[in-house]
Order: sequence, then C-alpha cells, then structure tokens
Amino acid sequence: MAVARPSGSDHALLYVPGTSWLHRLNPMTKLVAVLWIAVAAFVLPTAGTIALAGLAAATGILAGAGKVFARRLAFTLTPLTVALFVVHGLLVGHGNQTDWFGLTVSRDGIAFMFHILGRIAALLAGSLLFVTTTHPARLLKALDSKGFPPGMAYLIASPLLLLDPFTTRARAIREAQSARGLDLNGSLMTRIRAFPALLMPLITLALADIDHRAQVLDGRGFRAVPRRTVLDPPPDSPAQLWARRLILISIPFQIAGGLLWR
Amino acid sequence: MALIEVDNLTFGYEPDAPVLDGITLEIAEGERIAILGGNGSGKSTLAQWIAGWLPRGAHKASQGEVRVNGTTWQGLDARTRTETVQFVGQVPMQQLSGFAFTVWDEIVFGPGNLGLPPDEIVARAERAVAMCNLAHLLERDPFSLSGGEQQRLSIAAALAMQPRALVLDEPTGNFDPESRDILLAQMADLPGGLTTIWCDVALGPPLVVADRFLLLDEARIVFDGDARAFLAHPRTRDIFGLPAVAEVAALLAKAGRWPGGILPPFDLDEAVAAFGAVMEGTIPA
Amino acid sequence: MNAPLLDLRAVGFAYGETPVLRDISFAVHPGEVVALVGRNGAGKSTMLRLLNGLLRPDAGTVLIDGADTADRKVSELARTVGTVFQAPEQQIFNATVRSEIAFGPAQLNLGEDALQARIAEAVARTGLEGLLDTHPLDLDAATRRFVAIASVLACAPRLLLLDEAQRGLDRQRRARLADIIAEERAAGRAIVLVCHDMDFVADTADRVLGLAGGLLAVDATVRRFFADEQAPHSVSVERPQIAVLAAALGLPVALTPAELVARLVPTMEGDADASDH
Repeated sequence: MAVARPSGSDHALLYVPGTSWLHRLNPMTKLVAVLWIAVAAFVLPTAGTIALAGLAAATGILAGAGKVFARRLAFTLTPLTVALFVVHGLLVGHGNQTDWFGLTVSRDGIAFMFHILGRIAALLAGSLLFVTTTHPARLLKALDSKGFPPGMAYLIASPLLLLDPFTTRARAIREAQSARGLDLNGSLMTRIRAFPALLMPLITLALADIDHRAQVLDGRGFRAVPRRTVLDPPPDSPAQLWARRLILISIPFQIAGGLLWR
Repeated sequence: MALIEVDNLTFGYEPDAPVLDGITLEIAEGERIAILGGNGSGKSTLAQWIAGWLPRGAHKASQGEVRVNGTTWQGLDARTRTETVQFVGQVPMQQLSGFAFTVWDEIVFGPGNLGLPPDEIVARAERAVAMCNLAHLLERDPFSLSGGEQQRLSIAAALAMQPRALVLDEPTGNFDPESRDILLAQMADLPGGLTTIWCDVALGPPLVVADRFLLLDEARIVFDGDARAFLAHPRTRDIFGLPAVAEVAALLAKAGRWPGGILPPFDLDEAVAAFGAVMEGTIPA
Repeated sequence: MNAPLLDLRAVGFAYGETPVLRDISFAVHPGEVVALVGRNGAGKSTMLRLLNGLLRPDAGTVLIDGADTADRKVSELARTVGTVFQAPEQQIFNATVRSEIAFGPAQLNLGEDALQARIAEAVARTGLEGLLDTHPLDLDAATRRFVAIASVLACAPRLLLLDEAQRGLDRQRRARLADIIAEERAAGRAIVLVCHDMDFVADTADRVLGLAGGLLAVDATVRRFFADEQAPHSVSVERPQIAVLAAALGLPVALTPAELVARLVPTMEGDADASDH
C-alpha cells in the first residue's frame, strides 16, 4: 500500500538501544548467561529464584530497560498470579488451610504459587536481559564470527525480517479475494470454504520466493568459501571467554546440586 | 575472446516446447546489450542462461551450451561464477538475501561470503553505495524500502561482488516513471568495463541504456544490431509499437509522404526538424 | 444524463493521523473510461480501495450504483465492482485456468448454461483458448494477468477497476486490453484505470482524474489534460511523446500518431484513419 512507513520497521521488538556494560558484552557471553539462569530457575528453591529474578530485573533497570522489564513482567505475571492463586490457593485441595479475609486459603497452595511464579519470573527476566540489550543483527555477527553454521543465523534473521512483508502480502491476498466476491465475514462454513483461496496464493508465493532467494544466495557467494568475513564482529575478550567456560562448566554442577538437595 | 558465448542453445522447460531455439550469441567485455522480446518470447529464460541460473536441476539444454571464457557454467567454481555474472530480477523484494537487517549489511553480505579482507569489503561496498545513491538509506531495513529503492539496493549488492557482467531482467517493469528515471540515471554511472545485459518488453529504458540490440521472437534471435536499425526492423513495430516519433514517420511512409532510404527520426529534436519539413513541403513525396 | 455508477461526495480518508485523501468529489457514469493518475504515494491505491469497498471513507460518502459502501460487505459490492489487482499471483489459487475463471461467476448463482456461456465469453475475449487446462502459475506473467482479467470479466461487473493492468504487456496484448476496455465502454459499463503509462491513458481513456497532495487536482477530458502543459505537470505525470511532438510543431494536441499525421498532411486524413490507429 502506498503509505509512508516510519523509517525501518522494528524487528528487534524488545531491544532498547544503549551503551551499557550489558549492551557491550559479547552476545555469546550473554547467551551462555541466559542458559545458566534458565537452569538455575529450575534447580533453585523458591527464595533463590525470586532473588535471581530480582537481580536480573535490577540489572535490566541499570541497563536502561526498566520500562520493558516492568511491562513484560507485569503482563505475564499478573494474570498468572491470579490464576495460580485461584486454582492452587483456593480450589485444589492443598493442605495447611487458613482463613484470610474471609477466604479459606491453603498455605501450601500459596507456596506452590510462589514456586511457579519465581521460576517463570527468573526465566523471563533472564531472557529479557538478553533481548533488551542485544540487537538481532549483533547476535548474527557474533554467531558468524564464532563459526556457527550460517543456516543457524538464517533461522534467526529471516523470520524477523520476513514477518512484515508476509503480513502485508497476506492482507493483499485477503483483499483480492474479498474483492472478487469471497465472503470472509460470513458463517463458519463460508469461512472454512474460503480458506484455500487465502492459503494457496500465500503458499505458492512463498515457494516462489524461496526458490528465487536460493538463487540469489548462490549468486552472492553464500557458502562459496568455508569461512565468511564478518565486519565489525562484537568485541570479545579473554575474560569473557573464561567467564563463558566457567559458566558452562558450572551448569552440570548446578543440575547435580539441584537434584541432590531436593 | 568473448566473455560469454551462447552456442547453438536449445532449451525448454518441457520436452517439445522449446523456449529457446538454436540461440547463438557472443557477448564481449564492456558491451551494453539489450535483449528485447514480447511476452513469452523467451528473454527471461535467455537472461537466466547468460547469468548461470540455468541449467539447474532437471532443467538442461537439449542442445548447445553457454560458455564463460571458454568454460561451461558447470565447470566453474562457485566463487568464479559470482565474480563473473550477477543477475537482478523483476521482483525487487525477491532479490534481498533475508540475512541483513540494514541496507549496509545487505551490501556487505556477498563480499563477506567470499571471505575477503574487511578493508576490501568496505571499499567495495562504499563504491556500490555511491554508484547507486544509497548513502541516505544505509541504516534502513531492506524490506521497508520502496520497490525502486530495493532494486537499486539489489544492483548495489550485485556490484559489490565486482562481477564482469550484470544481467537485469525487466528491472523497471514494476516501477512508476520517477523510480524508473532514477534507475536509468544510475545505469550511466556504472563502471565503464562492466558488461550490462538489459532484458525488457518495453523500448524506452533499453534505448537509454544499451547500444547493441537483440530481438528475440518466437524463441529465436531475429535481429542483432544498433538502435536505429533495430527501430527500422519490421518486427520491432509489430512487437513493441514504435516510439511516437518513429510511428509518425512510419505512417507518413505508408502514405508515400516519407522519402525512401531515410531512417525515421530518433528523438524529439530530429522529429521536429523532419516533420516540420514535411509540413512545409520541403521533403517531397 | 443517466444515474452515475460511482458517486463520491466530499470523501476523505486517513491512515491513523496521516490524511491521504481530502474532500474528493466526482461521479463516473456508465460508458465512461476514467484514468486515475498521480505520482507514487498520491493516494491512488487508497482511492482504488475506496472504490471497491475495501476501505470505507472517514468523511463523506462513496455510492456505488446508488448504494453507500459503508452499508455493504465487500463481497456484496463485488457483484457490481470488479477489480483487477496489480499482482495476479495474489488472487490465483485454482489448479487450472478454467476453474480460476469459473470461481467468480460460480458464486453468482447463475444456471449452469449461463455460467458456461460467461466463461466461454471471458476466455474468448482474453485469448486464453487452448490454455484452459494449464496451471495458471505455469504461464508467463502477461498471460497470467489475462487470467485475472478473464476471471473478473466472467462476473460481468458494471464497474471495472484496473490497477496498472497494462504494465509489462507487449503491443499485441496492450491492444487486446485496449479492445476489452473499449468493448466494456460500448456495453455501457464504467471503467476506472489506475495507470502510470500516459500513452495507454491517451489511447484508452475519456477522462483524467489527477491526484496531488491528497486532493483531486485535475478532472478533465484526456484531450484537455494533455493539451495543457501545466495540468500533467501539476500531478507529476509526463505528457505522451505524441502530445509533446504536436506542441513542438505548433499543432493542436494529438493523442495518436495517426491523428498527428492527419494534422501534418491534412489531405491524407482518410489514409491515416485507414491505418491501424
């Protein structure tokens, strides 16, 4: 559609531009740290997961992403808290019941609620640390410069890049079909009958794109030589390399510790 | 030796339906060629053969071959292929790699794939940016550009591979006149030694960018020569319709009011002089 | 004059805060061919979507055959309005040309005979005989465009919208498209072309609507539009070479080479008419 769009669409939905210490960290280091947090979220006791989530959120605020953290955590945790409170605090027959503002609440149920909330908050805050401070383009360069297979980079980049054009195309197809008399707002049956008319062009066009793009990638020398040159790879340091190794080595201990203590 | 030789090539996507029939053609370094033909004349297919996109998979020539400096496409390694010919197709969005979040990354993607030193990549990309007038767009998402801008980007990305030839298949086919004129102006800034092969169904853009014209008609080359002779070829008028100035001359000739042996006027200035003379009766019938 | 097929009254449209069209009023009557011109982003695509009901105006009304588009579903309006979009690939989904063309009229509850007659007529007018069992996506882009045109013609819309339908067509197919437009006009239907190609506009249209800055900057007959140097400039389009040539020779505007030749050599008017334009 011939309407001016804002310059560049926003692929890095949650990315907050900045120059904090976290922003400057090599994406691989951050990726390994997220892995560590994910494992920790499952092995730590409730208090630990909540502390971890708090720590991650505090770091995020220091990195300038406070707004995103607040919004995402609130959007995810609020409905979850309500649901867990109703189901586990009130309905499911957990033991240790007590009276609370006229409601019969299970203490064990509440503990279970915090257990789940802590895990999810830690997981979410950890991943947010990564996505709010790492632009996908920088992640691609990091993967590239570490010699990861280019196919992997493609799997990350193309869904983000192609989502917009794909949505635009899907709308154009919907418009074209309704303008030729296809009823897209009718009963369920008419909608089901209309489905192939929407899906087929989308699929055939996507296949044509893939076919053509494969040729374009060949033409641009994709995989022509074993190792591609990466311009401005994200800086790395021996300290970060050792940090990553240490974190990776600690993960099995994390898991073992978690299993033994339980 | 010719850069690219098409040697008696016969090819069809289905047996018994040749899209190209016995095509022979030599393309020398630095030539600016237009391949013209009507809808379904086979020009896109010929462009793909010249660019090395064909043969592929089950699509093979039933006769003849295409050679680059004496070697067939299959005999060349991937790197040499990319450094020989680059292809820019009709649909701008399809030319984008899908790897790059910015225009700059799209341009350096190809040279990066060749494992070139960083300085060299930057130098190449900067030249391509200047030639295609993209400096103000470098931070933009390639997929958010207009069709005209995307097409200039795909030409820049192709030029950054430093090919010896650039094949363009109806590159302005989907453009409004403004974007078309910008692209045509850009073509004049391309490196002098670069061979360009421009395929089109319209006469306007090729007349601006090319000096050798090939007319493809029903799977065969029926004309190979310069612009004036091309416009005078009888099939040119049938297939494309002539530019208005030439059409007027053709109608005058039909009516016996245009002297034989004089080629039709080529541009507006020539036409005003020539038709002014007809009006004053100074060109006798 | 008979009732308009299309009647826009003080129509305005905005995408969010960005106004695209303002205070647009015009009517199109049966038997008229109207070209909608303007630079990219002038609002032509938006206008086209207002004309087939895909968009509803934010201000004013769009009446199609007397009915306000705001009260109708797009699929209902499709009985009156047929649209040929720029990219036929976005609407083609059947496995054969025949079933693709039959898709539209099959929803109109015609009898089987009437349906077959509609299809046969659309196929003959678009020259697709012999391709009926082909997969539409195996055809070249120009032929595919005619599949899209045929699938719209088979619905016999009283208002036909063509979005850059001439683009990428060679002379023979342009002539075929021009013939289809002329036949539709003769049958008392109305045609709106969105078209960048001023030669095609000069060849086929009666009237030009020019958009600039979101306003209807020009509403004139084709002849008046191209006779005037300023009007095409004001909506950022080029005059056809033939009109420029006529002006350079100090002659009244000509829209076709034959017309200019008749002006150059008045005595051979008859010959020029006999030639092919």
